[in-house]
Amino acid sequence: MTVHPTVWVDEVRPAAAPRRGTLRRMLARNAPGYLFLAPWLIGFFGLTLGPALVSLYLSFTNYDLLRAPDWVGAANYVRIATDDPKFAAAMRVTFIYVVLSVPLKLVFALAVAMAFNRGIRGLTVYRAIFYLPSLLGGSVAIAVLWRQLFASDGLVNMLLWKAFGIEGPSWVSNPDYSLYTLVVLSIWQFGSPMIIFLAGLRQIPTDMYEAAEIDGAGKVRQFFKITLPLLTPVVFFNAVIQTIEAFKAFTPAFIISEGTGGPINSTLFYTLYLYQEAFGFFRMGYAAALAWILLVIIALFTAFSFLSARYWVHYDD
Amino acid sequence: MSITLSRRSVLSGGAAALSLAAFGSGPVWAQAARLRFLWWGSQERADRTFKAIEAYKGVASDVSITGEFAGWSDYWPRLATQVAGRNAPDLIQMDYRYIFEYARRGALKPLDDYLDKSLNIADFGQMNIDSGRVDGKLYGVNLGVNSSIVLYDEAAWEKAGIEPPQPGMTWEAFAEKGAALSAKKTKPGFYASADASGVEPALENWLRQQGKALFTADGALGFGPEDAAKWFAMWADMRKSGACVPADVQALDQLNIETNPLTTGKAATAFAHSNQYIGYQKLNKSRLGVSSYPKVSADSPSGHYLKPSMLISVASGSAHPDAAVAFANFLVANSTGVEILGVERGVPASESMRNGLAPKLNDLDSVMVKYIADITPGVGALPPPPPPGAGELAFALKRVAEEVGFGRATPEAGGEKLVREAQTILKRG
Repeated sequence: MTVHPTVWVDEVRPAAAPRRGTLRRMLARNAPGYLFLAPWLIGFFGLTLGPALVSLYLSFTNYDLLRAPDWVGAANYVRIATDDPKFAAAMRVTFIYVVLSVPLKLVFALAVAMAFNRGIRGLTVYRAIFYLPSLLGGSVAIAVLWRQLFASDGLVNMLLWKAFGIEGPSWVSNPDYSLYTLVVLSIWQFGSPMIIFLAGLRQIPTDMYEAAEIDGAGKVRQFFKITLPLLTPVVFFNAVIQTIEAFKAFTPAFIISEGTGGPINSTLFYTLYLYQEAFGFFRMGYAAALAWILLVIIALFTAFSFLSARYWVHYDD
Repeated sequence: MSITLSRRSVLSGGAAALSLAAFGSGPVWAQAARLRFLWWGSQERADRTFKAIEAYKGVASDVSITGEFAGWSDYWPRLATQVAGRNAPDLIQMDYRYIFEYARRGALKPLDDYLDKSLNIADFGQMNIDSGRVDGKLYGVNLGVNSSIVLYDEAAWEKAGIEPPQPGMTWEAFAEKGAALSAKKTKPGFYASADASGVEPALENWLRQQGKALFTADGALGFGPEDAAKWFAMWADMRKSGACVPADVQALDQLNIETNPLTTGKAATAFAHSNQYIGYQKLNKSRLGVSSYPKVSADSPSGHYLKPSMLISVASGSAHPDAAVAFANFLVANSTGVEILGVERGVPASESMRNGLAPKLNDLDSVMVKYIADITPGVGALPPPPPPGAGELAFALKRVAEEVGFGRATPEAGGEKLVREAQTILKRG
């Protein structure tokens, strides 16, 4: 189908209209547009922005869900900063989790994507199978499976015993190791970054590799000189998304420790602590303050990622 | 009491509740009152409760009741959000701990005006009525009486040739016999007892045997660091002698039936609530025996008390409080309702209902009813109402007990830490 040039002209003109028309005319003109946007707008104002603002207000109150909130100024924030050992514990757990799980997951996802990118037969089937863990990750069945795998008499210890004669501990219930079983669980859910990496790899023109090969570059060199630089926008995107996801991680710890964050707070993720405060101990105001602090931390991390991006992300076009 | 569900059964229950709401309630205009009833518990409890709701149609055909249920840990967030959203269910299953929080915050309706009119609970006995009172007003009706209980795998103790826990046995004897059982190594990784050092009702029972309590009547902490240290030390000794499971096994226990070391086949003894006996027996192949808690010395009190395993309350905002009270009455004081619920929520508080139920009970039910009857002469008074924030103590106890269990703190340091944290919690409220 060919596009008639006059269509383009017609489409461009309305953009200049607001300068000439009154606000009313503009609204009338765009009404159908807003009408189509309405479901999203209602959702945004009613379900996202509204509750967010209420939560900001609640963070300055004592609110137990049953009685009206009681204004306490910055007391919640002061307490978090000066007198809350559990906040510090939750921060520590969450940072270890983010720092370990995000890079490992990305490396793993990229490795699998590279393996898939060689035009193997039945790719769609494999892709679906490898994506499955991401869909199952938050389920009770996986939590049970994980407990079985990493229990003292679980599969992991059986393999360790058979292969190396090592008698492993009960990984999932030992405070020294329990967090790392959750890191492994997170890496196992590499599906969505893998799919995105795969799409990114497909974008790289094959003639570059052919040229490199003729010039005598080996596979490793090709990876570091062609694949990785051209993939940086995708790496950047995945890193940002996965970091945000990791900060917000809740379900695995909630299910595996039944909401306690145990043993000895070793899996007390920040969001789990927030949830305990809000719904376990009825301190919704305090939990709202915790939530805003998390928002600021995530925003800082994301801003830092974007600032650093200009030094290592290459946009070719 | 704290029975957790699988997500599947919650889902199917939710589906059942939905379909009940969609198809089971008949035309809207024919209803005088539509009520919602929210409770926590297992599938077994849900089946019985839905059956009672169905049977209630024969009593009051103009009242339709929609049931919803959740596992213990999902229940409280759900109830709190519904109450906060002014969408509270008319009928609320309450716990002795939470009834103070909800009643004092005005979420529940006082039921004193209904007493001896549509609410016939006079034969509950004063103590069982008073267990639903907050600050002198009745906010909850006892749905069943329970107490703490020791459950043990009869075959495991018998096979080892060691006398199982008996009423009146001292902690010292319990620890000795436990160590002896574990030493026999009948199965690899099998121990005489679960580690109850982080289980709040167990600590409470032990304190009460010495005339102390978790909390005093004026809401302060009822024990000191040296008490907690002694408690942790007692369990540390048992851990060392092998009488109880090691810390990394105990850490897998989420304080529910499914994950208790008894159920998972790691231990021969569990510390539980008496109404949970039925749930435990369902998940354990071997026949379970029952006993009261071990004692600090032969002549100390038993430390037990009878408590409502749960209560039923009416929301203060209910549009049909009269109909709601009438249904509550049906569950506790009408032989049809009582018979359908059985003793799954605990032993009925009403004497006439209990007597009427007795011939219809199966073996399991009878064991539980007999246990409650046996300990009743030796029970003490209901503990004073827990102060605000008390719910957090159970979490702190579990964590500090784990720190001692994993050797990260000595019993003395653990005792100090627990008391310090508990005082911070209480001060915060």
